Amino acid sequence: MNPLFSQFLLEGRELLQTISEKLLALEKEPESQELITELFRAVHTLKGTSGLFEIPEMTNVLHSSEDLMDAVRDGRLAYSQELADRLLDAMDFVSLLFDILETGEGPDPNQIELAKELSSSLRDLIPVTDLQSGETDSQGEARDIKLPALSDLPEDVRLRALSEAGTGGVNLIVYSPDEGCFFKGEDPFYQALNIPGLLWGRVVPRTTWPPLSDLDCYRCMIDFQALSKAPRGEVLEYFRYVPNEVAIMTLSPTAQSSTADRQDERPTYATKDTGFQRDKAYETIAVQAEVLNQPEDVAYLSGRLQSVAKALSNCLSALGQDPEGLNEALAQALQGQSSQPLRDWLSAYCEQRGIELKPAKTTAPEPVLAPPTSTDTTQAPADRRPETPTTKVLKVDQAKVDRLMNLIGELVVAKNALPYLASRAENQYGVRELSREIKAQYAVINRIADEMQDAIMQVRMMPVSLVFQRFQRLVRDLSRKLNKDVELIIEGEETEADKNIIEALADPLIHIIRNSLDHGLEDRQQRQEAGKSPTGRLMISARQESDHLVIEVSDDGKGIDPAVIKQKAYERGLLTEERIDKISDREALNLIFAPGFSTAEAVTDLSGRGVGMDVVRSTIDRLGGTVHIHSEVNRGTRIRLTLPLSMAVSNVMIIESDHQIFGVPMELVVETVRVPRRAIHSIKKRQTTVMRGRVVPLIALNTLLDIPAAPIANDEDELATLVVRIGNEPVGILVDNFRETVDVILKPMPGDLGRLSFYAGTALLGDGSVLMVLNLKELFRWQFNTKD
Amino acid sequence: MSKKRVLVIDDSATVRMYHRSVLEAAGYEVSEAINGIEALEKALAVQEPFDLYIVDINMPKMDGYSFLRQLRQQPIPQVPAIVVSTESKTHDKAQAYEAGANFYLVKPIRPDDLVAYVCLLIGQGGHQ
Repeated sequence: MNPLFSQFLLEGRELLQTISEKLLALEKEPESQELITELFRAVHTLKGTSGLFEIPEMTNVLHSSEDLMDAVRDGRLAYSQELADRLLDAMDFVSLLFDILETGEGPDPNQIELAKELSSSLRDLIPVTDLQSGETDSQGEARDIKLPALSDLPEDVRLRALSEAGTGGVNLIVYSPDEGCFFKGEDPFYQALNIPGLLWGRVVPRTTWPPLSDLDCYRCMIDFQALSKAPRGEVLEYFRYVPNEVAIMTLSPTAQSSTADRQDERPTYATKDTGFQRDKAYETIAVQAEVLNQPEDVAYLSGRLQSVAKALSNCLSALGQDPEGLNEALAQALQGQSSQPLRDWLSAYCEQRGIELKPAKTTAPEPVLAPPTSTDTTQAPADRRPETPTTKVLKVDQAKVDRLMNLIGELVVAKNALPYLASRAENQYGVRELSREIKAQYAVINRIADEMQDAIMQVRMMPVSLVFQRFQRLVRDLSRKLNKDVELIIEGEETEADKNIIEALADPLIHIIRNSLDHGLEDRQQRQEAGKSPTGRLMISARQESDHLVIEVSDDGKGIDPAVIKQKAYERGLLTEERIDKISDREALNLIFAPGFSTAEAVTDLSGRGVGMDVVRSTIDRLGGTVHIHSEVNRGTRIRLTLPLSMAVSNVMIIESDHQIFGVPMELVVETVRVPRRAIHSIKKRQTTVMRGRVVPLIALNTLLDIPAAPIANDEDELATLVVRIGNEPVGILVDNFRETVDVILKPMPGDLGRLSFYAGTALLGDGSVLMVLNLKELFRWQFNTKD
Repeated sequence: MSKKRVLVIDDSATVRMYHRSVLEAAGYEVSEAINGIEALEKALAVQEPFDLYIVDINMPKMDGYSFLRQLRQQPIPQVPAIVVSTESKTHDKAQAYEAGANFYLVKPIRPDDLVAYVCLLIGQGGHQ
């Protein structure tokens, strides 16, 4: 993707985030002028940058949003809930466009239609100034603009147009500004004058004008006709903010017309077609004349005069002309603190050299509307306050960080080869001295590698606020839709965790919050009947506990009734009749995580979409985390997610079974014990043992993997048992032997092998061999689902 | 001849990048500032003065107008400044000139226009 465009997407998303934050903040403080200004600026910047690209839908919507915010900023319109809603809708649309554009596609017709609707719904809110007549068109509707017949154009213009058309094509443009355009800050004349490739233009009355006494000078009653040699696309691009107000016809050289024409008496003006650079230079010089006409009672007059002199001398030397006498004029001007000497010099010089300051006549001496008084703005100390040192932030493409992390990961693994090398040096070649040196060097590299790993982890750490920040909006929208009063409390949003974890958390959390709002929290009436405060509380908190990220979502709603869960589970065939009475309330609660379970009384469009809490559980499982639910009827529900802080490097224990080695993620391992064969009992054909007064089921890894071999015991007839926690219950896995634990970079199984869910992935070991890391949860699920 | 140096002042990274790419392609050396305060610091800190400023109006902390007014009071060589803005109102334009701008362009600016005016205000002919 074009780097400029990537930058735009990056910045645009940030601006969208700012916009929605400011909007939400405004809901609490609708009077804050500061927030309104910041909001306006964000919308304004976004619109400005979107103009660099060909995205008329986005620019249109943003332009309307900007106008709306402008009205709010100027106090013409009060901030309202409705306004916030519409702006948020518009920003959602822009965000959607970002997503589409990122895939390299363009908006589809529906979205183009949506853009128009959004634009006009935003514009509807902008108050129409009463000076405007009621029948003026509101922007957004296409107006019927008639192109003049070619024969209506003056003869000489037509001939010139046609000869130009022979070389490249000429566009006939009619620009018919909205009648109320002056109130929208548009400057139609400026717009018309700056049509790219302008060859000729004129102003025509739109309708027959009424008698002068009835003429409303604040309504734009004129059309602009123009000929341009710029390509059609460029002209369209130029008018992209007001596409409904222009009509364009491309003239081909064959469209001859021979009707003689009366000489047109209407005002016309012509631009010189020759010398692109010269026209621009004259324009620039004319602007300097304009600058010299500005009020002179300012503290920075000298600087202004110097800059004008510099601009003039640069501009003239660019034209190959010698600005003689300019320095003297400047010296005089500075001495007398007046622009007059420079003005005089400029007009004399231009007259002498035949320089026409044409555009200056059209745009020049405008009365300065309320020039800010020099004293309070220029010397305002507010801006020069000693700045607090700001930390420099570097924006880096995610892919670059990922690459760095992979490389460091490889380094971490590669360094593990050194101990192997050391032991070979000692055992195989008998050079103990060298072995010791290798080990010493290994210690150094090991430390550096650890620090590098730690450093890159820090880079990848992101605050959970990245995910949490959307929840304000989500809860606001949902609670309004459900007509419930909900207070959202967020805590610990500065807690950090790995980027991948943070990103993957968004969906499960949204699901949990939706459930809470939809099923957990009651509406006002129900709450009052239950003796609770009418406003429900939803609390989302994050904190770090050792090397885990703990996120809790709790509400003070009606809680989950285990009896209802059991009943539903039975109805859905998730629970057999005989087990209904046996399972504990805690187990019953966990049933909500079972696939296909949903307690929604009625399927709402919020959470009852057939995907339930099982999705939450599987996502958290995938991240190597756990989900706990705690609920009390009428008191509320709390769901706790425990996740690793980082998932880049996994700590894996290596075990041996049937002369093969396997890896088991350490987070599942509770302990390793050697169980004497005589301590293993058989209960209902299942092997079990008693550990610390608790019955622990045992299963051989060979059985799990369907390897036809018995576990091998050691010399004391003890079996190596790896106690792991699956779900909430400990299970002993019988293996042949334990080996060391290693830090590895877990890579997913490549290609089609990725579908083998019994393996969590592979890892490269220090000696170059590949370790298969088991996904015990899947193995057990399969084992017991098929056997039960 | 050493490259002419332009300071682009805009709070939008995208706009800065755009100006930079256009101006660098035209052979200028480009520096950036994200608001008036930073721009002023850069203008005062550099040993070789800039040859031109390209200034956005609506920026946090210190806007384009304030920047220009401050700049025009500094004891450094006063060089031309182009204001770029999304507003095409005459009022904005006059205010820019009042503050000490030497040209006013409405965003988005076509690359050849930008280069043409920058060339002129820096004093490089070429086409004539």
